[in-house]
Order: sequence, then C-alpha cells, then structure tokens
Amino acid sequence: MLLLCLPAMAQKDSLNVKNKDSVVYKQAYGIRLGIDLSRPATSFLDDNYTGLEIVGDYRLTQKMYAAAEIGNEKKTIEEDLYDFTASGSYIKLGIDYNTYANWYGENNAIFVGGRYAFGSFSQTLNNSQIFDTNRYWHPEDFVVGNSAPMEYKSLNASWIEAVLGIKAELFANIFLGASVRLGALITNKDPEGFRNLFIPGFNRVTDSSIFGVGYNYSLTYFIPLYKKDKKPSKKKELTTE
Amino acid sequence: MKKVNIVLSILLGIIFISSCEKDDICVDGATPLLSIEFYDVTDTTELKDVTTLVVQGILEDSVYPIITNVSLSAIELPLRVDATSTTFIISENLTPTDSTTVNKDTITFNYETKELFVSRACGFTANYDNLQGSINDTDADQWMEEIKIMTTLVENDTLVNVKILH
Repeated sequence: MLLLCLPAMAQKDSLNVKNKDSVVYKQAYGIRLGIDLSRPATSFLDDNYTGLEIVGDYRLTQKMYAAAEIGNEKKTIEEDLYDFTASGSYIKLGIDYNTYANWYGENNAIFVGGRYAFGSFSQTLNNSQIFDTNRYWHPEDFVVGNSAPMEYKSLNASWIEAVLGIKAELFANIFLGASVRLGALITNKDPEGFRNLFIPGFNRVTDSSIFGVGYNYSLTYFIPLYKKDKKPSKKKELTTE
Repeated sequence: MKKVNIVLSILLGIIFISSCEKDDICVDGATPLLSIEFYDVTDTTELKDVTTLVVQGILEDSVYPIITNVSLSAIELPLRVDATSTTFIISENLTPTDSTTVNKDTITFNYETKELFVSRACGFTANYDNLQGSINDTDADQWMEEIKIMTTLVENDTLVNVKILH
C-alpha cells in the first residue's frame, strides 16, 4: 500500500533529463510486485507451517529502489519438552541498491539493501513438560506442566535487516529473485513466563543473541510507469546519481 | 564474475554460520533440589552427623528407593513437581550393626510450585516457594527435635533451605 504513494514523491527526479550526450538509453522506471515462492512452497510441504509474503519495489534512481515486504507466518515448533505456535504479520520497508552493471537491454540486479521491519504476533504454548535432571519421583517421563495450553497475545518486535540478493529477468518484465537477510532485533517484547523463540518475518530467535537469518525467493512482475535516460558514465567521473 | 563470487561466498557464509547454534543442549539448569543440613540441637551452629543416615521418599504408603546422601550431615532431596507436598522418611540408627534399632522419622514439606522458562534447549523448569516443613509427630520416639526453614524459596543456588536439629 505504501508503495503506491511513492510515485508522486519521486516525480520531480524525472524532470532533470537534460543531457548533452547524444547517445541516450531510455530505462524503464516503475513498480515491481510479486510474491515469495519459498513460503507457499514450505506451507505445502511442511504441516507445521503456513506463510505468505508479498514483495515489491519501486525504482527511485538508476541504482536505488525503495523496497518492501509484507507477510504473514504461522509456525509450530516442537522442542523436546514443549511445543508452541507463533503466528503473526510483519512489514519490512527499506532500500535496495543495485551493484550490477547491466549490459544494454539487461535489467538484472545483484543488490545490497537494508530494511526496517516490524512484526506483530502471538505465541501459543501448546504442550509443556518440566525439565528435571533428578528422576526420583518420575523415572518414566517428565511431569506435564501447568503452563500449557496458554496463548500470549499482542506481542511485537522490531528489527533491522541487511539484505543481499539477486534478481534476473526471466521473460519480459518477469523477474526471479533470491535474497538472504541478516536481522538484528531492536525491540522484542517477550511474554511473561515464556520467550519469543520464533518471530514471524524474523525467523528463529537464538538464545542471548539479537541476530537472525532469513531468506526469500521472489517472483515479481514489473509494471513500467515511465522512462528515463541513463546517463552514460564517462571514464572515472563521479556520475552516481 | 568477481562480484557474483563475492555474493555467493557471503550467501554460503551466512547459511553456514546460521546452521550451528549453541542452543541445542541444555546447560542452563534444572529443577532444584531441597538442600537440608543437620545441626546439633545443643549448639545450633554446629553440624552434627546422623549415624547411618538413610532417606527415602514416601507417597501414598509406597516407599521409594534410598536417596544418596551428600554426607552424613547434609542431604539434597527432590520435591514432587506435580504436587504441593512431599514426604520423606529419614532414619537414624545409633547402633549400625543392629537393624532393629532403626529410628524412622517422617517429615513433610509443603510448598508452591512455580514454573519458569529457562531457555530454548531446557524449556521449563520449576522453583518452589513458600516452603514449610513439619515433623510428623505420630512417632513416640523422635530423633529429630526441630525443623527450621532457612530460605523459603528453593531455586538453583547454593543456599541451605532447611536445618534439622537433632
């Protein structure tokens, strides 16, 4: 939704197109929208997971893109003595910077990027047993705890992500992409009596660490909105826009 | 191509790092044991050994196996996580060679169980709070004189929870 308001803001860039060089290469600017392929695929293969992510970006300059992901995930994780379900939605907003110098007519990308992400979710503790190294009273199995079932609602977390990825134009205006993300939690509201072990969008949370790793495989469609000249870069001159 | 190689190596690096995580093994602790020490009733600061100390748990008239002692003046007892009271038989035998002189005393501990989440690998453990102890005085000749609760919260620490004077 936020991407739709961006064209208005970016219009003034396109006015500055005076270029004395006679060789101009018009490049298409517009919105790219699509979905992450890995989440529906994992949903299909893994009974303990359902998820969907919509991805999009909007080209700002020759190399810069405003990028966003919106998604929803529900995942049940079974540990040895307890199992829980994390469920919620997230939004990620940021910038992608294309470092790949395309040949004439190419529209591929090897990009680095950054995101600010916010997730709102709930955790449900489905079953729990109490861990005890002393097995005197219960030699056969661990005691079932009173903590479960319990739903911890209205939890939230925010984090930043470093993104590294590629996008290749398969057919005209259709792109296949992949990215990995290294996330660092900024805020993480843990429930009373439990902990956020999986945050939708962020992925697995590691004990006593703020870092997490995620990935996606995107299939996107490019909607061209206008064309703009590419400034031919002269030898070793500062021509970054 | 150089750029592609760099990207690929970073991608592989991140996947590699993320695959080995330390939170697969529980090292952070477990449900604590009740720590008891035996003191001399005439000098309550002096530890006093219990001759042939034997401790067994008891639940609904069935007697459980012998719990290994820390020493003759200190024991660590497991409380029942799924209940609010646990009973033990603690026996002394002043003439170890004669099995007919075993003096069995029964003590009961009442408490509240508090579950807490420790870590991903350990999951939940329990602490006990509001600990109370009593010597069941149905017995005519008790060797235990008095039970003193030192710390009402039983958690993973080195504090002694209970002193028994005899």
